[in-house]
Amino acid sequence: MANQFDVVVIGAGPAGYVCAIRAAQLGLKTACIEKWSDDKGKTLLGGTCLNVGCIPSKALLDSSHKFVEAQKDFALHGIKHEGVEIDVPKMLARKDKIVKTLTTGVGGLFKANGVTLLEGAGKVLAAKQVELTKGDGSVEIIETANVVIATGSRPIDIPPAPVDNDLIVDSTGALEFSEVPKRLGVIGAGVIGLELGSVWGRLGSEVVVLEALDQFLAAADQQIAKESMKIYKKQGLDIRLGARVTGSEIRGKEVHVTYVDSEGNETSIVFDKLIVAVGRRPYTEALLAPGSGVNLDERGFIFVDDHCATDVPGVYAVGDVVRGPMLAHKGSEEGVMVAEIIAGQKAQMNYDLIPSVIYTHPEIAWVGKTEEEVKAEGSEYKVGTFPFAASGRALAANEKDGMVKVIADKVTDRILGVHVVGPSAAELVQQGVIAMEFAASSEDLALTIFSHPTLSEALHEAVLAVDGHAIHIANRKRR
Amino acid sequence: QEPVLSPAARKMADEKGFNPTDIAGTGRGGRVTKEDVMRHAEQSPVAS
Repeated sequence: MANQFDVVVIGAGPAGYVCAIRAAQLGLKTACIEKWSDDKGKTLLGGTCLNVGCIPSKALLDSSHKFVEAQKDFALHGIKHEGVEIDVPKMLARKDKIVKTLTTGVGGLFKANGVTLLEGAGKVLAAKQVELTKGDGSVEIIETANVVIATGSRPIDIPPAPVDNDLIVDSTGALEFSEVPKRLGVIGAGVIGLELGSVWGRLGSEVVVLEALDQFLAAADQQIAKESMKIYKKQGLDIRLGARVTGSEIRGKEVHVTYVDSEGNETSIVFDKLIVAVGRRPYTEALLAPGSGVNLDERGFIFVDDHCATDVPGVYAVGDVVRGPMLAHKGSEEGVMVAEIIAGQKAQMNYDLIPSVIYTHPEIAWVGKTEEEVKAEGSEYKVGTFPFAASGRALAANEKDGMVKVIADKVTDRILGVHVVGPSAAELVQQGVIAMEFAASSEDLALTIFSHPTLSEALHEAVLAVDGHAIHIANRKRR
Repeated sequence: QEPVLSPAARKMADEKGFNPTDIAGTGRGGRVTKEDVMRHAEQSPVAS
């Protein structure tokens, strides 16, 4: 039987749908399988990111931030108002509408590019066959020259706090609280925990974040992590490090949580809602038929090489289901790479320059190496920093918290890392990503003209500070 | 054809009196980076 498709992508999240669109653009006959549907049985495209991840969380972060501004900052600007209230159902409805617009948009893009949507669950069989089980239970075998697995990830459950989707929720449930919980517990001080804790904290919850590790934001530059911790504390987020949750008990409408701190003391704490945000795991349930030939690694990720090829020729895997940071832009770029490889191009992906962003306010973002990593490598380096408190644009915007930090190689001056906590951190770091893609030195950025007044100038001043030439702060003595 | 130099590479090449066409660029699309000018300086010492 002839191939029905050149490419069948399993999963329509950021990795899968982007891969399918790119493959179709390259003239490949492409299908994309998605099994996720709403309660009316309508297929939901866009995956975790669009439906229960990046997009809805950003919608709530933006709405809740405006509430805080109105409450706390308007008076400072000389704006008087008669009290501000929040309408949580309306806030959630706005979020839902944005999600609907974007997920419907993916369907439109599929149509525009000629991607065939196959609704149901996909399973990888041997010899490049994919079994499609539809909503009505019927099964169809699809022949394809190439398969791309993009099945994503799921929240990790922990035995001491089993999710009941009522009082104890995962990230999905935390986007759906119908009212503001008075006392909110969050297990995990990672990106998801900090973002969701911020949303509800801004709306009035007393938030306690329990983090098992002793180090805050272990993957981030620790100077930035320390600065961020200070800012969060000022905002009222009670982040407890070295707090290992040992149990939870639901009593009536309350969750009683016990945890052991780094000194071994057991503490009990009561919440109205508890969010479990300890991490995500790759999702491969019912995906691989015995004899598919596709292998998993010891952590449950699909085993792939640098080009996202699995152990079976013609079968690829991208996104959260494979190694690397679980980020939408990482998955999407892998999807593009794989589509281009299938089309015969020599595509590559630069894993060294995947930026990270935490969308709290202020934002935290970074790319490249942290000072700790550079130090551990033993290479000599230079550091330049600039505080937003010295930025005219930031002061005008009442955004004086945070800083920019640039790390460069001492000998070659090549930029090794850009780290920001502060307003528009992600956009400033992106400027660093572009510079680093072109192997820029800190002097290259120093010699570049930045508009005044802009937040971007904080990056300019930080690269100037690398060699002790910052204009708007006193430089540390160097030579 | 005149190679493309990064801003810092352009400055350093000018300071050292190098002819940009003599410098091998290793950046994207053959761009000459500051590091390339440094390497060139090590390989071909020029009296300034």
